[in-house]
Amino acid sequence: MSDRQGLIVLRDVVKEYRKGRETIRALAEITLDVPEKGMTAVVGPSGSGKSSLLHVIGAMDRPTAGEVIVAGQALVALAERDLTRFRRQTVGFVFQTFNLMPTLSALENVMLPMEFNGVPGEARRPRARQLLERVGLGARLGHRPRELSGGEQQRVAIARALANDPPLVLADEPTGNLDSTTGQVIYELLREIARERTVLVVTHAEALAQMADRVLPIKDGRLETQGVVPRSL
Amino acid sequence: MGLARFGLRNLARHPGRLAVVVVLIAVPFLFLLLTRAIGAAVLEHTEALKRSVDTALQLRARGSMGHVNMVGSSDLLSQGVLDKVRQLDHIVKVEPYLLAMTPTEGHNFAMVVGVNPGDAKRLESHGEAGNPRIVAGRDLASADQGKDVGLIGQGFARWAGITTENLDRATLTLDLRRTHPAIFALDRPARMLRIVGIHASGYVFGDMQLFIPLETFREVYGVPGGISWLFLRVDSVDHVADVRRRLDGLVGDVADVIAPEHAALFASTTTGAVLRLARWGTALAAGLMAIVVFFVMLLVVRERAWEIGTLKALGAPPIGIVLGYLIEAVAVCLIGALVGALLFALAGSALAPRLFALGAGPFLAAHYRDTLFDALPLAGVGPTSLPGLLGLSVLVAVAGSAWGLVQVVRLSPLEAMRHE
Repeated sequence: MSDRQGLIVLRDVVKEYRKGRETIRALAEITLDVPEKGMTAVVGPSGSGKSSLLHVIGAMDRPTAGEVIVAGQALVALAERDLTRFRRQTVGFVFQTFNLMPTLSALENVMLPMEFNGVPGEARRPRARQLLERVGLGARLGHRPRELSGGEQQRVAIARALANDPPLVLADEPTGNLDSTTGQVIYELLREIARERTVLVVTHAEALAQMADRVLPIKDGRLETQGVVPRSL
Repeated sequence: MGLARFGLRNLARHPGRLAVVVVLIAVPFLFLLLTRAIGAAVLEHTEALKRSVDTALQLRARGSMGHVNMVGSSDLLSQGVLDKVRQLDHIVKVEPYLLAMTPTEGHNFAMVVGVNPGDAKRLESHGEAGNPRIVAGRDLASADQGKDVGLIGQGFARWAGITTENLDRATLTLDLRRTHPAIFALDRPARMLRIVGIHASGYVFGDMQLFIPLETFREVYGVPGGISWLFLRVDSVDHVADVRRRLDGLVGDVADVIAPEHAALFASTTTGAVLRLARWGTALAAGLMAIVVFFVMLLVVRERAWEIGTLKALGAPPIGIVLGYLIEAVAVCLIGALVGALLFALAGSALAPRLFALGAGPFLAAHYRDTLFDALPLAGVGPTSLPGLLGLSVLVAVAGSAWGLVQVVRLSPLEAMRHE
């Protein structure tokens, strides 16, 4: 990259799916520039393309056309192996359904991405402990997911997303399975971590969108703003 | 917390299901051990049979008993047959014999057998049995070849008045002009033989045999060439049928070939059939284990698709994820195999004969079946190579889980989003 741009840069990104003989256009020529740090909320009705946008930015899916550059890496050009490394080092995921490994304790779940990243065993444990303490679960290290409440599980998932200290955290409906009180705790946690990195949240929740630094309304696969979010709002 | 340990920990997620799967693998593995043990026992029994079975083939002139003075049955094999059979493969010993009859009292007669010293002293009518016990004196020695000496059976000796006490000066005169309804006279001079020993076989007719050196026989009876009987010892029962076939081609127009083919037939039919069944049983058991692993792994991959997607989304290397699931499959298979081995150790001896009777019995020739049932040492069978069989179960786990692992590789990280 010759000139300094945002952490996430999308240029004319198109994502199409085949459903039988029909072609569904989930993303229609999205152009976007999200700066480093801060929380950005992608909002829109079901089927608007907000999850597809998250998948493309998180290298879980490839666009049909266009350019996706995240943290200086042009994802379209990367091989599968490099995409795996990208997901490991550059992105932390927070899922609606928490997606914690049921056979592992909270501590082990947080240690897992560090192990994938080759972090030595002696460094993994204290960092995982520190992250869990940061999200208020210092007393629940040895608990398995089924022994934790929904809010606690999501906090473990947020700690896991931060394990490799990625510059970008992607959260897909992070409060979708939580009550409003618990959801509020999660909002505040995401906002806190957004001070030091970029957090991109896909949400239906109006409250969460209001807490974001930027809001990207999306409908029918198109951004409803002018397309490029200013670096500072 | 490597992905390998992660795979092992997954085993404990559904204890009930694990128990069912272990049983589903243990039963075919037990079946596999039983079939292998039956095969090993049959093979061992056959090897024991082979060791104890006489592998000697007998050749006689076609349609003749081959006695030089027997009415209507005095044709001999030509000396050339001896040279021909020596060229055959798998022949470890060639033993030529000459036979004559000599009247005793009434209608009875004794047998004179010319034999090379050192060869088996075969008893006519009991050709399989040989080398009767020497009860007095000594055996024929190579130095006796061509000399007028003999080793007499105890019955013949009793008729001739030879005893242990007078053996050191005992002689017997062969009068070739004496006849008998089955013996014709030979115009040859009588010959007095010095008796060097007395043998006892326990057979009435065997005890009426006199063994003399082959060259002595030729001189006494005036037979410069030819052979009454030719015994060929084959190196293994496995080659008997082949040697028999080649002998038929070589001398079949002039000789009758009498071969102990029962053992060879047993090895090629009964043992072969049981071993084939055992091999099929092993393959069937391994196949059943692989099918169980196949369906279990498909189920596991389907119900844990979101976990696999999550691991991929978190940046787990695909090989690590595959390894975790492969270790889970191998562990399930090994636990099942060990349980199967335990069941085999506890109940194998009782189950093996039943399985043998049920599985192999109907396929065996009736005249072998009962013999085999009685003889098989099934009570003592055991797995000859349990580590090898456990290795097989690992291979089965790999083969059975292969398709599931392909699905693991193919799963997209997007599966993480489909978790409800």
